Amino acid sequence: MHFFLSKAQVVTAFGAVLLTLYVLDLVRRRKLSEEYSLLWVIASLAIAVLGFSTPMLVWITHALGVLGEASTVFAFGLAFAVAMLLYLSLKLSRLGFENHALTRELALLRHDLEELQRGRAGEQRR
Amino acid sequence: MSPPRVLVIVPAHNEQESLPATLAEVRAAAPELDLLVVDDGSLDATSKVAREAGVNVVRHPVNLGVGAALQTGFRWAVEHGYDIGVQLDADGQHDPRYLPALLAPVLEGGCDVSIGSRFVAASGYRAPLNRRVGMVLFQAVVKLAIGRRITDTTSGFRAYSRSVMQVCQHDFPKDFPDAPLLIGLARRGFRLDEVPVRMRERQAGRSFYTLGKQLYYPYKNLLASLMAMIRRPV
Repeated sequence: MHFFLSKAQVVTAFGAVLLTLYVLDLVRRRKLSEEYSLLWVIASLAIAVLGFSTPMLVWITHALGVLGEASTVFAFGLAFAVAMLLYLSLKLSRLGFENHALTRELALLRHDLEELQRGRAGEQRR
Repeated sequence: MSPPRVLVIVPAHNEQESLPATLAEVRAAAPELDLLVVDDGSLDATSKVAREAGVNVVRHPVNLGVGAALQTGFRWAVEHGYDIGVQLDADGQHDPRYLPALLAPVLEGGCDVSIGSRFVAASGYRAPLNRRVGMVLFQAVVKLAIGRRITDTTSGFRAYSRSVMQVCQHDFPKDFPDAPLLIGLARRGFRLDEVPVRMRERQAGRSFYTLGKQLYYPYKNLLASLMAMIRRPV
């Protein structure tokens, strides 16, 4: 059983830890909402754990029939990236619908406001 | 009973050149009809020229697409108690002289959506090849979906009853409101009808349909048509 970390695993795990810290820092600076940070923290922690704990990674790799532990880590990373992109597309679509509704609402309200202002101006003139 | 109130809805995006003539033509052809211009985030003086023409103007602060402009127009029409809404292009392609003919079947209660068709009778209209392929394709899609031939599925010269506008003020395709819209309306039980009209070349300004949109159009409308077929009509 390999117990010592390969260079690739060290790099992966180190990168994952850095990413986690960066994500948390973004939340601290109010650049990223807690909602989105959760997914990133879970994903980067998962990568970190996989990268560090060699026996577990080897076991998963065997169980999935993957050649090479590094591929397992990449596969998980890729799966996460795809899931995140789909999730963001959904969010973006919803934001688009909402934006759309708000824009139309604003247009109608502004028209009514102009009408009201015109009406008042008319009264004053009289 | 008071006579039915009709609103001509003119969606306009950067149409300062052709809009005044279009509005004047509608007034000349059908002086009894009210007009609403929905300025869809124009960067030019579209709103200004429309206001100067003395019509109601609702202005989207950003560009949302022709369908969204119509949706706003329907909502306005419903809120202001109109019985019928007509969609008319700002660029002068839709000849206002056909307004009475277009309105007649809806006014008489014979149908809920009246479509101005270039193909019901020989109108001398000949589209470029890519358009013709699309027209034949979407004619087939609509026929398949609702079991009825609509000769001009891409016509944007249409009149809608109040009940249609009530539905469409909330739910309307935000771009390219063509075949999927007709399928959705037919599945909701609305009656469609076609009236022969003649269409002209646009007088000025640029079309909504840029090259990118021409490529996106068939994808979007095929997918949306399929969805309109399998979606439960609400």
